[in-house]
Amino acid sequence: MEDAERALLRSTVEDAIADASASTDDRAAVDEALVRIGWREMLCAEPRDAIEIVFGALGRTNATATVLDDVLAAGLGAQPRPDLAVLLPWFAGWGPPGSLDGDRVHLRGIASVRAATAAELLVVCAAGVELRTVTVPRTVADVGAVYGVDPDGGLRLVRGEVPAADAVPLATATWDAAVACGRRAVARQIAGADRAMLDLARAHALDRVQFGRPVAGFQAVRHRLADSLVAVEALEASVCAAWDESSPDTAAVAKAIAGRTNRTVTAHCQQVLAGIGFTTDHPFHRYLKRTMALEGVFGSADEIVVDVGRRLVAARSVPTLIEL
Amino acid sequence: MTTPSPAALLDADRVTIAEYRAALQAWLDEHHAELAPRYSPPGTLDEHVAQMQRVKSLLFDAGWMRYGWPERVGGLGGSPMLRTELGASIAARDLTDPGLYSLIEVLAPTLIEFSPPALAAKVVPRLLSGAEMWCQGFSEPGTGSDLSSLACQARPDGDAATASAWIINGQKVWTSLAQYADRCVLLTRTGPPDSRHRGITAFFVDMDSPGISVAPLEMINGMREFAEVFFDEVVVPADRMLGELHGGWAVAMSILPYERSSCFWQRIAYLYRRLQLLVDIAPDDDRTAEVVGDAFVQLHALRARSRATQHRLADGATLGAETSIDKLLVATAEQSIYDAARRLLPGVVEMDDGVIGATWRSEYLYSRAATIYGGTAEVQRNIIARRLLDLGDDG
Repeated sequence: MEDAERALLRSTVEDAIADASASTDDRAAVDEALVRIGWREMLCAEPRDAIEIVFGALGRTNATATVLDDVLAAGLGAQPRPDLAVLLPWFAGWGPPGSLDGDRVHLRGIASVRAATAAELLVVCAAGVELRTVTVPRTVADVGAVYGVDPDGGLRLVRGEVPAADAVPLATATWDAAVACGRRAVARQIAGADRAMLDLARAHALDRVQFGRPVAGFQAVRHRLADSLVAVEALEASVCAAWDESSPDTAAVAKAIAGRTNRTVTAHCQQVLAGIGFTTDHPFHRYLKRTMALEGVFGSADEIVVDVGRRLVAARSVPTLIEL
Repeated sequence: MTTPSPAALLDADRVTIAEYRAALQAWLDEHHAELAPRYSPPGTLDEHVAQMQRVKSLLFDAGWMRYGWPERVGGLGGSPMLRTELGASIAARDLTDPGLYSLIEVLAPTLIEFSPPALAAKVVPRLLSGAEMWCQGFSEPGTGSDLSSLACQARPDGDAATASAWIINGQKVWTSLAQYADRCVLLTRTGPPDSRHRGITAFFVDMDSPGISVAPLEMINGMREFAEVFFDEVVVPADRMLGELHGGWAVAMSILPYERSSCFWQRIAYLYRRLQLLVDIAPDDDRTAEVVGDAFVQLHALRARSRATQHRLADGATLGAETSIDKLLVATAEQSIYDAARRLLPGVVEMDDGVIGATWRSEYLYSRAATIYGGTAEVQRNIIARRLLDLGDDG
């Protein structure tokens, strides 16, 4: 895709999300708007551009959509469709969300709002050392749902047990690649949210007058915002690198960097926003809560960091994952 | 007839970075014994400098050192990323100290851009081949972060427009390797004392000129890497002026893109190597996993950022204030790695006088300067706030 084409697509996506978010409270509105402008076709034809642009825009706008289900479905070899939801790994982890136990499937994962209306829920299950996919009726996803810090985001924890339908073998590499793709998508969404929080804090710093001048003039405030920008830029470069040199490792590390960056950005921006950032009158809280939830999707920074560290120490080897 | 080295078989204008890297790695493997340091770590500064010049000489003779440099200064042409790859490859193998080696990237492009072509053609190959050492005379006792306040004076011998020579008086400080240097890229005050960046001129000065004296300073790790340099009525021919009269600020600023791109890529390679050395000896436990994982993730973020910067430079972008981001990331990652070493090797950095302890200690202490040299972390944050975040002037 050419740069000009990409820029056009970006503004089309952002306009569609903005219109859909403004016009209705319907949770499916943004999904429907994205489908109308060709999201599923883009996802198949140009997955990188589609995911980068759509998830970046979701991050910046804090809109709620369930396109992550499509990313996972495509990654697992299923045709993305609005009535197919995919169960994501349990909060902070990245193992398969299901486990096969005889003729029963134990479910333990995160489901998007799509799971509330979709016909079917696709679940990747561990079966011993192998993987299977099973498709179960979505109704199980409503059992014992926990919405947590960000109910507007539509992610909920799902636990349950259902009879095993036809289980189809799944290559571990396919699951790893699907998780990697999901990680790149979520990392991009977090990067978009981080940018938005930094913009909010910057605007506030320029606007808010104390001691006779905008607080943006105080070095302590400036340095917090500068450190936030440094972190966000490094995250964005890491996400790009995870596409350029696509592998489970570059995606895992990008997701960990997203978590670390988010911690830096939310702390600095909330401090700069001070009192108003502590209220629900200001939009900051929505980004904070959304990214708190996203931190747990496909592995938290802490879990990934320890896992990566263990593997480096076990191999006694420190690879450079990306080259010039 | 001698066998052509692998380097001579590559077409500098067509070779990809990956092909160059593969051929280079094979050559470095093959010539490991010749290239390896002759001293046992940590080594003295004399040994480090001798090692670097020897490695440069071998690389120049084999052709590797000439890729990415223009033909008019003895290079073979091709993308500057080739020489970035070379610097990183030898840093990753601990063949040279990247801090010393990076002076090439800091100084040679300056000569190529600002000196009379005949001078560059004569001296740049001598720098690349290890026949000469150069230093950079920028900072002064009263001029740290605020470079444009420098005072070291150059006055024309006669009228400024027609003078055949300039006479220099003043002092520089933190001049790395001055005691080894054959030449110095020197910033001087040629305008009125308060003329700031408008009254600075750069010269290429022979360090054996009468009136120059060098007093090495002992750093916190005991090495004497940098020095005070005194200029007492030092006569410099007018044709050694770099760039325009009063145009020294442009010369100084031209260094930034290289210092913040290729030099950083080389330092990053060195830092990966440091983390590898730590992983080689750290205990296999949960704390190591967490500390190493954290350092690795931080290094990767820096590498991703720097990689993007190298590509932007190669694509013709003009690098500017945004490289302050690279600078902060590199400084933070460097200190994190040595902090990790202290945590995972308790007592080694502090109380071990063996090879491992002495090396980690020396490097740990040196790493504390990462947030100070090349523009302090605070100055970088000020630049980011004003130039990138557009927060206006600070109070």
